[in-house]
Amino acid sequence: MPVELRKVSYTYAPGTPYAAPALKELSLTVGDGEFVGVMGRTGCGKSTLIQLIAGLAAPSDGQIFLDGENINERQFDRNLLRQKVGVVFQFPEIQLFETTVQKDVAFGLKYLDRSREQKEAAVRQALEWMGFDYEAVRNRSPLGFSGGEKRRLAIAGVLAVMPKFLILDEPLAGLDPLGRDAFLELLRKLNQGGMTIVMISHDADALAEYADRIVILKDGMLFKDGPAAQVFSDYKGLEANGTGAGQVSGIAERLRLRGWEIPAGTIRYRRLLDEIAGRWTQ
Amino acid sequence: MRQLPVGLYQPADSVIHRLSGSAKLLCMLLLLIGVVNTTTLPGYGIWVLLTALLIRLARISPGTALGSAVRLKWFFGVILFMNLCFYQPEDPWVRWWIFSPSYAGLIQGIQVVARVFLLLAMSNVLMVSTAPLVMTDAMERLLSPLRLIGVPAGLIAMILSVAIQFIPTLFEETDNIRKAQTARGARFDSPRLWDKAKAVLPLLVPVFLAAFKRADELSMAMEARGYRGDTQSRKKKYPPFQTADWLALLLCAAVAAAFVMIR
Ligand SMILES: Nc1ncnc2c1ncn2[C@@H]1O[C@H](COP(=O)(O)OP(=O)(O)O)[C@@H](O)[C@H]1O
Ligand SMILES: [Mg+2]
Repeated sequence: MPVELRKVSYTYAPGTPYAAPALKELSLTVGDGEFVGVMGRTGCGKSTLIQLIAGLAAPSDGQIFLDGENINERQFDRNLLRQKVGVVFQFPEIQLFETTVQKDVAFGLKYLDRSREQKEAAVRQALEWMGFDYEAVRNRSPLGFSGGEKRRLAIAGVLAVMPKFLILDEPLAGLDPLGRDAFLELLRKLNQGGMTIVMISHDADALAEYADRIVILKDGMLFKDGPAAQVFSDYKGLEANGTGAGQVSGIAERLRLRGWEIPAGTIRYRRLLDEIAGRWTQ
Repeated sequence: MRQLPVGLYQPADSVIHRLSGSAKLLCMLLLLIGVVNTTTLPGYGIWVLLTALLIRLARISPGTALGSAVRLKWFFGVILFMNLCFYQPEDPWVRWWIFSPSYAGLIQGIQVVARVFLLLAMSNVLMVSTAPLVMTDAMERLLSPLRLIGVPAGLIAMILSVAIQFIPTLFEETDNIRKAQTARGARFDSPRLWDKAKAVLPLLVPVFLAAFKRADELSMAMEARGYRGDTQSRKKKYPPFQTADWLALLLCAAVAAAFVMIR
């Protein structure tokens, strides 16, 4: 189910001295099954973009379509939107509130038309994906966990619904390296299972490795949009924008300056290793 | 958050903005004395005009100035209804079950609503036209004579300033949590009252947790930076009142006095 933004603008606190244009005539389409990485410097409008797609704020101007339907029309079914689009916000751990882990993770399933068994299975699956032992944690209070664990619980609460479209706002910030890799692998698996994923991140290495397409925002407008290999190949442009192109692109660029012929689009770790190893054997 | 929180300071260049904080605070108190001593409908008419004038002078949009009062329309409705039906059961128009609406009740209800409305509008003008730090300084200044009888003016001002600075943060946090829970399926925007009621818990629990956490962190940070609560030693020099400040005080005092006298 594609999401399409047509010339979307958004201004915070319009008509006051605090008016802040956050998005300016942004047009963007995300197709079914894509894994899109969104980058851009702080304040460029990434979080605002998410809120608009999730229908949590209405654009000041322009339209947003989900499966061809304008999500801000009166007759549009908001509850269907909530079911189709899952959002992992920045610092999602603040959203925990129930008395037990089981209840909190099941919160989003409350209004869905599923049997008790199906709901329980979904909660179990989501918790296991996020690295918890279902039986061990189900009756504990979600507030008694550490910060990182709370974040994983909150993400489980979003995954339990199995949204067709998953948006994540800087989910990697603050994860330890092992947790980060495991989480990225999970996202890849979900994506391969058909889930469309849009992930905001400053981690160019992660996006280079896992995303198919990269969108970079700048001052509320589109700065770059294209296949990851193409966008990250513009090493100098990205560095100049302050976004960064990731370590692999950086090393490839350095080697090119030394006269090595590393093909453009070498943005993944394994590819680079292969290139270097290939040279050694020659 | 399309809308700004109620009472958020909005910088502008107006007569009201330029008044000193303590003068504004005193003027506000004087005007309040005037309002609560008003007993006639024409009197309230004058107050409405005066408030409109204040809003004009401060160059605030009517929406900003009256927003908080308008949001309380249900509250006002209930107050009016209660007064109308229960204020004077001895001499009602009609008697029905426990309700006995009366003329005196109607007048009393209008009066209470008018007072609260005016109070909200005026304090909004004050808040919107005064930077938070200026405001707490003004409070400290007005409270400082009470030091002589042992009132910790500095401490009170600090508490107020922390509280005031917390408001926008809490507002933003509430907004974030509301959005997160909405995305998870909480039905804040449902027209059904029962859905709305059920959505309260997912909002309140995290907001309170966040507030306590913030308070905890702030107190630790303040202690780590050596705050000990006694600001006695810090004798502040306050700038003297300007002509405009005296003029404003004089005007407000005159208005208040007039209303007290004709009462
Ligand atoms: N609640 C808000 N009120 C006013 N301005 C805001 C608010 N949230 C964000 N902004 C402004 O909108 C712009 C985009 O913000 P945001 O979408 O949060 O950026 P990002 O997520 O890319 O860091 C920024 O310039 C920011 O100052
Ligand atoms: Mg952000």
